[in-house]
Amino acid sequence: MAYVMLKPAAASGAEVHSAIAVKDLTKHFLAPGGAEAFTVLDRVSLQVGEGKFVSIVGPSGCGKSTLLNIIAGIESYDSGLVTVSTREGADARPRIAYVFQSPRLLNWLTVEGNIHFVLEAQGVSRRLWAELVSRHLEMVGLSGQEKNYPLNLSGGMQQRVAIARALAIEPDILLMDEPFSHLDAITARKMRFDLMGILARAKPTILFVTHDLTEAVFLSDRIYMMKTRPARIFKEVSVDFPRPRQPEDSAVLDLEKTLTREFFRGLEAEA
Amino acid sequence: MAPAFRSVGLRIGSMIVLLLLWWIASRLMHDPDVLPGPFVIGDTIAHDLVTPGPEGESAFFHIGITLARIFVAFTASMLAGIAIGLAMGLSRLLERSLLVVIPLMLTMPTILMVFLAVMWFGFSEAGGLVAVMAVVTPYVAVNILEGTKAMDKSLVEMGETFKADQSLLIRKVYLPQLMPYIFSAFRYAFGVTWKIVALAETFGLKYGIGYMFFFWFGQFNMSQVLAWIVMFVVLMLVLEHGVFARLESRAFAWRTSVAR
Repeated sequence: MAYVMLKPAAASGAEVHSAIAVKDLTKHFLAPGGAEAFTVLDRVSLQVGEGKFVSIVGPSGCGKSTLLNIIAGIESYDSGLVTVSTREGADARPRIAYVFQSPRLLNWLTVEGNIHFVLEAQGVSRRLWAELVSRHLEMVGLSGQEKNYPLNLSGGMQQRVAIARALAIEPDILLMDEPFSHLDAITARKMRFDLMGILARAKPTILFVTHDLTEAVFLSDRIYMMKTRPARIFKEVSVDFPRPRQPEDSAVLDLEKTLTREFFRGLEAEA
Repeated sequence: MAPAFRSVGLRIGSMIVLLLLWWIASRLMHDPDVLPGPFVIGDTIAHDLVTPGPEGESAFFHIGITLARIFVAFTASMLAGIAIGLAMGLSRLLERSLLVVIPLMLTMPTILMVFLAVMWFGFSEAGGLVAVMAVVTPYVAVNILEGTKAMDKSLVEMGETFKADQSLLIRKVYLPQLMPYIFSAFRYAFGVTWKIVALAETFGLKYGIGYMFFFWFGQFNMSQVLAWIVMFVVLMLVLEHGVFARLESRAFAWRTSVAR
């Protein structure tokens, strides 16, 4: 019902340090006739602490993307409360950036032009553009590609541009919707490592959607498990390993094994 | 490089054959009042370009007038067509209401539209402009509308999540995706525009290539009539292949850079 954007002063009272708070969020899809077809999100609640990396793991079609779209403010919902607050000290409305499954670059613009596009959309002063572009391209390892066109880049590099584009607006909140699922396993693994390095420098709050538990365990501070029909969160796990992590560490592998078991048990359990 | 070379060679070759046939036909006919040869026409054109004609102006003046008319009418109808097509693509209401009117205008024969415009606006610059716009704008609008249907919605959604406003979306997301449709409309629009302008000049506008053509037609001066036709055709070919083709390849640089 309400999409609330809290300023720090207001936020300090209620949900201290939580950048995203979703409470009892429910959304139904309507059938073409107007009748309620099915429930996309059923009383979903979650919290993402400021600067934290939180993942939602669930099967395809369980409403994860819908949830991200609602948090991004581009999709409506039926009931519940979604609160998005700014990083402490910022007084503007929260900046939200999005990395999609496919890069969604504007192929007729150069790499630099693609980043300029979001900077202009966000009303960032032109004086800052050059520095923001070069800093974030450097961060994703694409220095020198400013004038290149996206179609000249590989899929992995295009996704890096998409990440640089998202980071360039210096977001309070970064939403990532299965960003590595279209890449081959080797590229995806490299990208996950690089993402960890990047996030050590730019520190946005991240809500990351995936269907890959290995990925979630390696990257996250906290994992929410979601199932479909009815779509709801059935388990919440916090991951406390120190960073930097190695995907092959035995502790990481053990947790992954335990969670995988619980995940599939949860999916198969009756509602 | 080689195929491009060959196609240029082919074009020049067929041009030479055409001139040769013309020359042979004129020799066989042996009557310069009915079919003057290419050399006579060449001389006439050269003469017209440097000597003031019946209106006290050289051919350059008339060519300039015709070009200006084509440019104004073409630009106006393209811009109007793109704006209307885009607006229809963005608003269902506009689309549904205009889709009733546009087919009516598209079925109207061009020549009738010219007569209608002349009856309403007289033999004036406005008459020519209205005739061109009435014919070209709906065609362009329909093309652009079709382009909006083929647009990638996921890019629009991307723009919206980053809070891009409508003007930024139009400039960076919609229009670039419409470029192929704009260019295909461009060619048709240009072809129709110069034909209508020539027609309007022949019928009653003062000055211009069509005007001069009609003047010499009245005198039954075959070499002058042919000279003006040749000037007109050459001019339009140069514009279409020289100018537009170059604009088009520049607009799609981002695509061709991949094929390297």
